[in-house]
Amino acid sequence: MTRGTLLYIGQRTLLIVLTAFIVSSIVFIGVHQLPGNAFVGERRTSAASQQALLQHYGLDKPWPQQYGTWVTGVLTRGDLGESLKQRGQKITPLLLREARVSVSLGLFAMAFCIIFGMGLGILAAVKQNTWIDYVASFLATVGYSMPNFVTAFLLILLTVTGFYAWSGGNFYEDIGWGKLEQIPVPAIALGLLPMTLITRLTRASMLEVIRQDYVRTAWAKGLRSRVVIVRHALRNALIPVITVLGPITTGVITGSVVIEYLFGIPGLGKEFVSSIFQRDYNVVIAVFTFYAVLVGLANLAVDLVYPILDPRIRY
Amino acid sequence: MATAPSDYVFQDEFTADSTYEVGEAVSLWKDAWRRLTSNYFALFGLAVIVLLLLVAIVSQFWTPYPTWKQGIGPTYGGPSAAHPFGLDQVGRDILSRLMGGAAIALAVGLGTALLSSVIGIALGLLAGFYRGWVDTMISLLINVWYGIPDLLVVMLFVVIINSRELKWIIVAISITAWLNMARLVRGQTLALREREFVEAARSIGTRDVGLLTRHILPNALGPIIVQATYLIPAAILFEAFLSFLGLGAPPPEPSWGAMCAEGYKSLQLAAHVTLVPAFALAITLIALNAFGDGLRDALDPRMRR
Amino acid sequence: MAPLLQVEDLKTHFHLRDGVVKAVDGITFHVDKGETVGIVGESGSGKSITSLSIMRLVPEPGRIVHGRILFGANGQPKDVVKMTDEEIRDFRGSDVSMIFQDPMTSLNPVLRIGFQVREAMSAHDRFSDEQSKSRVVPLLKKVRIPGAADRTKAFPHQFSGGMRQRVMIAMGLSNEPSLLIADEPTTALDVTVQAQIIELLRDLNREMGTAIILITHNLAVVASICTRVIVMYAGRIVEEGYTRDIFKNPQHPYTWSLLRSMPRLDAARHSKLLTISGLPPDMSNPPPGCKFHPRCRFRVDRCLEEEPPLGEVGPNQFARCWVLMRNALVTQPEKAAAAEVPIPPLTAEPAQIDQRSEPDRPGAVKA
Repeated sequence: MTRGTLLYIGQRTLLIVLTAFIVSSIVFIGVHQLPGNAFVGERRTSAASQQALLQHYGLDKPWPQQYGTWVTGVLTRGDLGESLKQRGQKITPLLLREARVSVSLGLFAMAFCIIFGMGLGILAAVKQNTWIDYVASFLATVGYSMPNFVTAFLLILLTVTGFYAWSGGNFYEDIGWGKLEQIPVPAIALGLLPMTLITRLTRASMLEVIRQDYVRTAWAKGLRSRVVIVRHALRNALIPVITVLGPITTGVITGSVVIEYLFGIPGLGKEFVSSIFQRDYNVVIAVFTFYAVLVGLANLAVDLVYPILDPRIRY
Repeated sequence: MATAPSDYVFQDEFTADSTYEVGEAVSLWKDAWRRLTSNYFALFGLAVIVLLLLVAIVSQFWTPYPTWKQGIGPTYGGPSAAHPFGLDQVGRDILSRLMGGAAIALAVGLGTALLSSVIGIALGLLAGFYRGWVDTMISLLINVWYGIPDLLVVMLFVVIINSRELKWIIVAISITAWLNMARLVRGQTLALREREFVEAARSIGTRDVGLLTRHILPNALGPIIVQATYLIPAAILFEAFLSFLGLGAPPPEPSWGAMCAEGYKSLQLAAHVTLVPAFALAITLIALNAFGDGLRDALDPRMRR
Repeated sequence: MAPLLQVEDLKTHFHLRDGVVKAVDGITFHVDKGETVGIVGESGSGKSITSLSIMRLVPEPGRIVHGRILFGANGQPKDVVKMTDEEIRDFRGSDVSMIFQDPMTSLNPVLRIGFQVREAMSAHDRFSDEQSKSRVVPLLKKVRIPGAADRTKAFPHQFSGGMRQRVMIAMGLSNEPSLLIADEPTTALDVTVQAQIIELLRDLNREMGTAIILITHNLAVVASICTRVIVMYAGRIVEEGYTRDIFKNPQHPYTWSLLRSMPRLDAARHSKLLTISGLPPDMSNPPPGCKFHPRCRFRVDRCLEEEPPLGEVGPNQFARCWVLMRNALVTQPEKAAAAEVPIPPLTAEPAQIDQRSEPDRPGAVKA
């Protein structure tokens, strides 16, 4: 850890905090511009009880004051407030519980897209202009254009017989969450699009590196082809691939909103969709801020791994 | 100039030189066109796009059945001569709805590409040309914006606007889609503003607006066109996501994403209700991306794979 | 004594969509043990492809289509062209090493210097693991890297270009090969560094007895280190002989022009530098006859139709030229007049040469 690295981490952390602040305030201001309030749609609420609710949530105060209270709560107690729809439900524990579900799904999807994406990309590059390359490149182009719910439909149809055999019952009861065998299908549906991105990038990067002078040097030294490919070519080819892991994290989060909704997985994405529909803005703000911090941390992690892979980079 | 007699050698050379340059510029685009048309995958993409455009235009005047009319035939009816793609859960003709969906998809795709290109180009030009604090602010905005999953922003915007009209959906997608364009244009501008011909134009007193619109923008046109082409499928995908989640064009509008969402409940019973719009969507996106790839390779041979 | 390396009628062609590029087209030469041979030519003359062919490292879509590359001074020489994948792997870096033009890009940027040198040894079984490890620092010292012991942990980007080329040389010599191919080792370096690297190569050649093939377009480099020179043009050898003979008495017009185009301090101040007019031939569509005739000041009609063989023009000196080959012209008495073209001495003012000559005009014999 040099001083420069620490300084860099400091700057990036500041940017994350700034992003979280900007995001939460924009969302906060945005939802407070809406006509009416969150409780208007509800039945069996008298004017008096509505007033009590507004008071309970502090919604009767001007929004700058509300925002100040909220920020203070987040910074001092890690308290993201209370759900507007599930009365008495604190958002922080709710978020943490659901984040665990989403993160395990996301990590599974990331693992899938990194392992298979890189594998396919390397294979396509090493076997350039053979049928393996053509099939891999075709899959990458098609997969890149597949909306994840379309992939999900195909996967569900593909595995539907299998699901029946396992469950011996209704297939719809079996997509969901809780069992290990329920993870792969949504994870693959979620990871396929980023996988094709990694495949394309790995292939291009690998082809670029294979032509480099130092790879020729490695051959000229009489190294075995496995050593040349892995130690000399791949080591260098992975450097640009690592940089897309940040954007891919964003992509997986975005995708998880659709996939969790589709598969009925009780994660953050599903929570976000239902909160949006129910106009539970406190939850919406919390999820938004959480995502912004998560993406920032993922990008920071990538930036910290980068100089380990490439000794030429110093912050 | 053509009729003027060339009295001295210098002019002769001058005319010869300028015609040569025009020839260069023409052959650059011609060359790109030749490369594009020799790329079969891109041509397939172009063919699908043309077909889609025709279908979208026709659908505004005629569809086999009204897109909204229920109970035309048996619910979940399979493909038949009268209904080539079958009927959906309330007995609407899927082919008719598919045609109407093409118009929605293209409207959203083209509208978003246009609007977000305008935003992105404007901000990119400003940041790259004026640098300094303008660049700092715009770059910060881009970096912050990058840190937020865009679909969520669009969803929130649609809810806040409280309207699901197509034009607002286009606006919603555009406010997140301009980032890459702005980055690209900023980079191009930063590079181009140092070039000799911009310096030359500046030295004879060309105003900033003139420099930007007549010298910098035209020279960055190739990458901008490619980037704009990629914006179309991205926007269509976003609209499909929104409709799938129930935030897109309101029913009974035949948006492909909404058709997928409606049919999904009966995926096992009648897969065609879901798969037909799903494949339409996938093929459209593949075609647009393939065309974009072809265009990129044609306009920038250095980036060829 | 059998030569260390014997290249026989080597042809390396590139099969492109638009046709075949005969980058190397039937060259024959040899290198003796401990000898330093220079291969000279413009870019595109096939000199680099020749060296890559010896290592079997010709890039796609190039292929060795004909010929033998026999290596090995004692016992049976082996044909490199026919080696199996494992044989060629063990041959590279152990029997013959190669260093490349651009030291800035020839070392792997993410691996430490010491490791890259050690790796070259551990790929072959000449040295045990411990030996390889302990040899790294002495090798770096041998190529005169200051503070060698402390710099094994450094990465290439922390080295200057000259230092990187030294590392490349250390790596190349790590398995004590009997032949080192240096492909333009100094082209990318500063002039002062160039001299140091050349000096280093000469010293190593003397100390270790490693034969060197030096590929370059720089005649001064050849003059300072090589005992023999091979001049290549358009995939062929156009002249071959001892350095001293060729510099004193170049026979082929191309060699002559090359030497005339070199600035010399000892030449009279008013003597003009010659440039070789025209461009090297388009290798996918080379001219008929002698490949050099479009740029040649001395061509005769025969040069346009028939390619001359590599004929002996002096003791141990060979050139590929009709005009200069008196022996060949005996069989063509009608061309005898052309044979009397005087060979311009190097130092003389080339008054008889029309500087504005247009090489494209057919049949224009300049005399």
